[in-house]
Amino acid sequence: MKKIFIGLIGLLGIIGLNGCDKIEPEEYTVYDGAVVNWTDITTTVEPVQRVYVEKYTGPRCNNCPLADVTLEGIHNDKVVMVSINHPTGQGTPYPNQPDMRTTGGNEWDKYFGINAIPTAFINRDRTLQFQGDMSNIVGAINQALTEEPIVAIDLHSTLENNTVNVSAYMHFEKDYPDQVTLTVALVEDSLVYKQLLPDGSMDENYAHNHMLRKVVTSYWGTPLPIEVKKGDGLIGTLEFLLDSEFVAEHCHLVALVSDKKSRKILNCASCEIGK
Amino acid sequence: MNRLKLIMTALLIGGATTASAQGIMGGHVTGNVQVDGQMSHADSTIGSQDVPEKLLMNARADILYTNGDFSAGLRFEMYEKPLLGFDAQYEGEGLANYFVSYNGERLSVTAGNFYEQFGSGMILRTYEDRYLGLDNSIRGLNVTLRPIDGITIKGVIGKERTYWFYSEGLVRGVDGEVNLGSLIKSLGESKFRVTLGAGFVSKYETDEVIPSSADPEYKLNLPLNVGASSVRADLGYGNWSLQAEYAYKGQDPNTINGYIYRPGQGLLLNLNYSQRGFSAGIQAKRIDNMGFKADRSQSGEMLYINYLPAITKNHTYAFLSMYPYATQVNGEQGLQGDVMYKFKKGTFLGGEYGTDLHLNSSVVYGLDTTVTGGAGTDGYEVNSGLGQLLYGDVSVEVAKKLSKAVKVTATYAYQVFNPVVENEPGSLHHNNIVVADVAWKVNKKHSLRFEAEWMGSDSHYDADDPEHNDRRAGDWVMGLVEWNIGTHWFVSASDQYAYNDGIGNYYNLSVGYTHGATRLQVGYGKQREGLLCIGGVCRVVPASNGLTFSLTTSF
Repeated sequence: MKKIFIGLIGLLGIIGLNGCDKIEPEEYTVYDGAVVNWTDITTTVEPVQRVYVEKYTGPRCNNCPLADVTLEGIHNDKVVMVSINHPTGQGTPYPNQPDMRTTGGNEWDKYFGINAIPTAFINRDRTLQFQGDMSNIVGAINQALTEEPIVAIDLHSTLENNTVNVSAYMHFEKDYPDQVTLTVALVEDSLVYKQLLPDGSMDENYAHNHMLRKVVTSYWGTPLPIEVKKGDGLIGTLEFLLDSEFVAEHCHLVALVSDKKSRKILNCASCEIGK
Repeated sequence: MNRLKLIMTALLIGGATTASAQGIMGGHVTGNVQVDGQMSHADSTIGSQDVPEKLLMNARADILYTNGDFSAGLRFEMYEKPLLGFDAQYEGEGLANYFVSYNGERLSVTAGNFYEQFGSGMILRTYEDRYLGLDNSIRGLNVTLRPIDGITIKGVIGKERTYWFYSEGLVRGVDGEVNLGSLIKSLGESKFRVTLGAGFVSKYETDEVIPSSADPEYKLNLPLNVGASSVRADLGYGNWSLQAEYAYKGQDPNTINGYIYRPGQGLLLNLNYSQRGFSAGIQAKRIDNMGFKADRSQSGEMLYINYLPAITKNHTYAFLSMYPYATQVNGEQGLQGDVMYKFKKGTFLGGEYGTDLHLNSSVVYGLDTTVTGGAGTDGYEVNSGLGQLLYGDVSVEVAKKLSKAVKVTATYAYQVFNPVVENEPGSLHHNNIVVADVAWKVNKKHSLRFEAEWMGSDSHYDADDPEHNDRRAGDWVMGLVEWNIGTHWFVSASDQYAYNDGIGNYYNLSVGYTHGATRLQVGYGKQREGLLCIGGVCRVVPASNGLTFSLTTSF
């Protein structure tokens, strides 16, 4: 009996000592997101102005498929789209269905105070916010595309053994007075799960595209280590592991160059994983 | 797990449909079904809203198959849509719970959903309360070993249920308990009773990004494994008993505590004396940062790994329970005393049938703290004094049988309630409450029960003042009549009316019919917004106005 008792106490002790992490006070906080390494470049990047469309959606939102139709109709290589699953209410997944809510998406949703879906922003500009009816968004996108780019951006990546290496080439076409950040996110297409339709019926096999799966850098981007002047160029490189649940062939990377304070997007780019 | 689910579904549905209530492979099939429905429409006086779906419904069916040491069960749940006050994330239907279990003399094993508790629950308790809309069952494996008489070792591993999903966090735990009276013969034959126990629970959760409060470009370095341990003793001698448990939780920054790194601690003491006709007990509790959840980012009542026992009386009368006390997991300290005495038959106070006297008092304070930082720090330091008063009550209940047919229960209570326990602003509410309850067995077939309640409060209602827009405020009266007809029917009518400084007139009519194990109850009336608390765990009950019904049956 004594041996059993000692053994039990020993077992509890071993499990107890190994069952919790102890963090020292000076390590309570660490720098956020994948580490971005910066290199100056002298080469230029083709100055193309693209438009970033950030859409908040959910499987229980019967009007969201209408927004999908509108936005897919204008999607091209100058329109970078990211769909974010609203964290509550109509964004709640159905039982036994995949959960597309992400920590980064939840943070963005909270920041913008999204209280109804579908909602879409152009370039994270609060004055270019569209809710429900998306019929006016087309004109606003076309208008945004006519602007002269402050920064030109080009995005490339490689994929080896689930490690994704990302290179974001940036070249500034104008001076910019405020601090600028780079955000890299991963989106996935062809995700099939239930979606409520406008007529109230359920599409069991709705294909969801551009779904945000992960914010690779910190939520609001890693600050560029320069005070931006016209003609500045640099590459931001980073690497991360592709989660096994993501299908690489369906994934895209999205790079956002934004104003750190206002969080407005100055320009953006997208590329397939490994290209 | 899906394969297991399929096998069990086939087994149980097959059993239920082909084998009546018993006989499947020599085993027994039992079960129960409950359907609750609600219709509600807008009433600006009480603050109720229209229900767009017209009818809300919660339904569930439990089926259990037992065959000797083997058992298996499943639960189907449906929320279309959830009743008012139940979280919208419940919406949907499906198989919410299933398990297979072997329960032998020395070994018990459950695979699937299970409920378990270590000690008083301060480091682990999973349970279900359908009225709170709470189910934190673990889906995984639960093993209990009893190697020799007097020693019990439990091990659990799995993920906790939250609505239709399961936690990100993986819960692992082990608990050992030794009953020394079973191991040491001389102790077992003495008046001493000694049971000692210790447990450890660890939660593993993947990393996530929580910005530091000091610098948003930094995130918290989160502990992926959070551990909690406890030691406990249950001692007894003759009519005396003492239960003591101390729990410690490692660094666990979470949304409940504001992502601070301060370790948690909890202490429970319970001393009781009882003899025929008399019992007395005193309970003490102190907890500091003991909210322990399977997912660190979840608020609300779901996904708690542990349970912090209530230290206040769970009152049942309407006005006594109007201001229930919700356990403050981030910190509280309190005492409760309870005395019951029966005046014997034939004495001056006992009369012909005896008189029961029940005194209870409890008081709960917050911790006296000095804040040292926000998220990403140790949060605060605890000083030696008392924090603010959170709750206090004293109640005296006298129950006396006046004749073979009439029993009277009279209660007086005084309560002090701090709205901060519900995260609401405002000053302390002081309430005096009187209750008279008369039960009259008219004849063999009919019985009546009358209840009259009064509450006088120093609070008042003002819709435009955030500190005074609590619809429970003011002075209230209530009357209730309940008529039981034979063993089948009952009818009841009640009304609560805020006659001074308050708002609302909440009437309710209810009819019920019971036949065997089946009971149908239909009600119509108004429900005041407030909190429903059971054991210190609460859910918000919004105002409603309309029809309710409930059907329960078992087989």
